[in-house]
Amino acid sequence: MSQATDLAAAAGSTDPRVGLRAVLALRRLLERLEVVQVDNARRQGWSWQEIADALEVSRQGVHKKHAGRASARTQGGA
Amino acid sequence: MFERFTVQAREVVRGAVAARERLGHRNVGTEHLLLALLDEERSSVAGLLHEAGVDAARVTEAIDRKVGRDTEEFGDRDAEALRSIGIDLAAVRSKLEESFGEGALESPPSQPSRRGFFGGWDFSGGRFSPRARKVLELALREAVQLRHREIGAEHILLGLLREGNGLAALVLTEAGLDLAELRRRTLRAFDQAA
Repeated sequence: MSQATDLAAAAGSTDPRVGLRAVLALRRLLERLEVVQVDNARRQGWSWQEIADALEVSRQGVHKKHAGRASARTQGGA
Repeated sequence: MFERFTVQAREVVRGAVAARERLGHRNVGTEHLLLALLDEERSSVAGLLHEAGVDAARVTEAIDRKVGRDTEEFGDRDAEALRSIGIDLAAVRSKLEESFGEGALESPPSQPSRRGFFGGWDFSGGRFSPRARKVLELALREAVQLRHREIGAEHILLGLLREGNGLAALVLTEAGLDLAELRRRTLRAFDQAA
């Protein structure tokens, strides 16, 4: 399959455009994954501190980033 | 801060948000501010820019060449890029949908940024890039220096030219424009208006 060959070539590419585009896509995936999992943790009653510990970030940081979202607020305040 | 913007300057900011949407970009950047400044219906400096040889079609073409379009927020190009480092986005998506229901991965993340004067601006139309925020801060500074009470489209253009490093400035420079000369012309426009 020529597409598979192209992709194999891309994986080993030293072209910064290809490599950096992968970093961007990975960051987008990471952001979405974080939203899904933080919302899930909140729904299950986790505190912001517990979520912060699991993500190895500060409680303030995780609260600032996620508390404003409606779905993350369903379990009440911080 | 926004209350010191003239109606027209607000229109330019809205125009930049609209340009971002049209091009399918994630953040409002200096290039979108430039496109809004080129819109005659919104901006009094559009004529000045046209006279200098800049037009929206040309700027859009230059932006396309430099950054391309990404109309799908998390679409085929992302899937392809992830595949290049061995991640199967379809597999990730289906795992998540198994646990969290259909469309689990589709919710766009919100990352409010509140740094600087204009950090909290969102307009529900995407965030402003650090450079675009810098341009608006410089527009304010230009108005203060000129002892103008309000910030107009001219000040936004002056901010854009002073910032000097964004995609807008790059596009202008590559089109053969002298940014210092454009700045002088913009300042002269104030004298003519006064």
